[in-house]
Amino acid sequence: MRNLLAMARRIIRQIVRDKRTLALLIIAPLLILTLVWYIFGAKTSEPNLAIIHYESSDYLSAFKASDYTRMSPLQARQSLADKEIDAYVDLKDPIKVHLEGSDPSRNGLAMNKIQKSMQKMQQLSITSMKNQFTDVIKAQQKGIQTQQQIIRQMSEAMQHYAPGALAQIMQNAPKAEQPNQAKAAEKVKLNVTYLHGNDDLNTFDAFGPAMVGIFVFLFIFMIGGVSFLRERTTGTLDRLMASPIKSYQIIWGYMFGFGLFVIVQSFILTCYIVYVLKIYNIGHLLDVLIIVFILSFSALSLSILLSTFASNELQMFQFIPLVIVPQVFLSGLFPIDTLPSWVQAIGNLMPIHYSTEALRNIMIRGTGFSGWWLDGLILLLFSVIFIVINILVIRRARPIAD
Amino acid sequence: MSYPIKGEHLHKRFKNQIVLDDVSLTLQEGEIYGLIGPSGAGKTTLVRILLGLEKADSGRVELFEQRPTLNAFRSLGYMAQSDALYNELSAYQNLEFFASIQGMHGKEKRQRIDEVAKAVELDQDLKKNVSNFSGGMKRRLSLAAALVHRPRLYLLDEPTVGLDPMIRRKLWTLFHYLKGKGATIIVTTHVMDEVAQCDRVGLLSEGKIIAEGAPKALTEHYGVPSVEDIFITIEKEGAKK
Repeated sequence: MRNLLAMARRIIRQIVRDKRTLALLIIAPLLILTLVWYIFGAKTSEPNLAIIHYESSDYLSAFKASDYTRMSPLQARQSLADKEIDAYVDLKDPIKVHLEGSDPSRNGLAMNKIQKSMQKMQQLSITSMKNQFTDVIKAQQKGIQTQQQIIRQMSEAMQHYAPGALAQIMQNAPKAEQPNQAKAAEKVKLNVTYLHGNDDLNTFDAFGPAMVGIFVFLFIFMIGGVSFLRERTTGTLDRLMASPIKSYQIIWGYMFGFGLFVIVQSFILTCYIVYVLKIYNIGHLLDVLIIVFILSFSALSLSILLSTFASNELQMFQFIPLVIVPQVFLSGLFPIDTLPSWVQAIGNLMPIHYSTEALRNIMIRGTGFSGWWLDGLILLLFSVIFIVINILVIRRARPIAD
Repeated sequence: MSYPIKGEHLHKRFKNQIVLDDVSLTLQEGEIYGLIGPSGAGKTTLVRILLGLEKADSGRVELFEQRPTLNAFRSLGYMAQSDALYNELSAYQNLEFFASIQGMHGKEKRQRIDEVAKAVELDQDLKKNVSNFSGGMKRRLSLAAALVHRPRLYLLDEPTVGLDPMIRRKLWTLFHYLKGKGATIIVTTHVMDEVAQCDRVGLLSEGKIIAEGAPKALTEHYGVPSVEDIFITIEKEGAKK
């Protein structure tokens, strides 16, 4: 235990004295997350739209002047080419939409807006149809009224000349039913409820949990991996191995020493995104901290393991595109349900995948312990496996001992 | 007579290259044994196998007359070719760490650190960061880290490489002082004036110990002016055969 603490104390001292590393560990993730927050949290700008051939259209009122610039066809085509507008609508029957088309997200925004106008347009045509029907009905009602008048005059005449025949006709005649009063048309409105989150949930809120995992993992991976690699390349590991320290004490010393910074880092990072960036979080801060903490351990133990296969810093960093980048894409930032099963299987081997799932459960879905214990356990299992392999690797390098 | 370190019939090969070919050596207590030979002769590999940092393909190593255990490392000081120091830490923190993992603590540890710092003349620089140290200072600190737990056996792999003659002389004075206190030292080198200071030398060439003995006796036996010439003489003999 004493050796283990000596190891941990030394690592803590090393990091504290190395201000750059300390800054990279704690400040860099904050900076990057802030940047990400601005990028994904920003309100998307309104699409710029125009209409042409509007003069003779009945539907002009569906396209408000504040949303749609009025343009001539030539003007519109020019503006579209110059990217001044995202789309224009040709109101000449049949209605056509022309999109700029180079940016799918802008396309979506433009189409969204245009479809809303189209709905309004349909309402307009329905209203005009209703008006036409009312006119027809009114004309028919007038006709019926004159007919009724004629019938009344005829029955008066019949009462006068043949009262018996009239009584018989009245008895056989079907009773005219009074038409029901038409109900006032109810306004159809969608009532949207959210099982999780609310309509304020923006992209950053959804990405946040994955981002936290990615950055914690990345920075711990880099710093942990390089410092253990240095232990190998400078020969201090040899000196350790030629001392009575036990192999597990070397590895656990690392875990403990870095553990302290991991606690500090996770705490600062989590508080920052929850209280400063105000990411959507309905779960317990402690739950979030626990997951971030466990994830960091898997990052640290994995980086120590991979440093065995690197003979210098450059080779260590070559693992980043191999180990970190796929995790970013398979972490849950993007839906992976439709990917081929072998890709999904790889995704299941990645620690960040589980941290994202757990953090989403905690922060957005608000599930308590029941929502994250399994993911947390898997992350712990990752760490345990990596740590055991690490200890075995060290043990193998000092064949006479242990 | 006890043998602090003993290697018997050690074989080691890396892929196709034979690094050690049936090497046996036994150190007597209280001697300075010089392992000399051209680079690539297998000196470092031999030291690492004796230390247990590498496994021999066959053969057997004994430390203090038994199979090596972790505990044996308590009586063993190792200094590698690289300085093996933590550059971010101060000199004191480095020594303190190595003393701690050797099981020293408290007042005894602090006193011992001051002692070894004085011995390598770094007592004025203990608070300085190792990254600000010169090459010579780093070497001396590295040696101090190997001394700090009072080992009985030292394995020093090229301890004086790249140092100026003044510091080199000081280090050798220190080695003799340690020897005087009863320590056994095995040192690899290819500086010939250091060879003369060893009690015995082993000449390692292409994975074999080709000659062994006190430097003076060896030069007389082969009838050559220096130990260096023995390599050449033996090579010539080999060619004649």
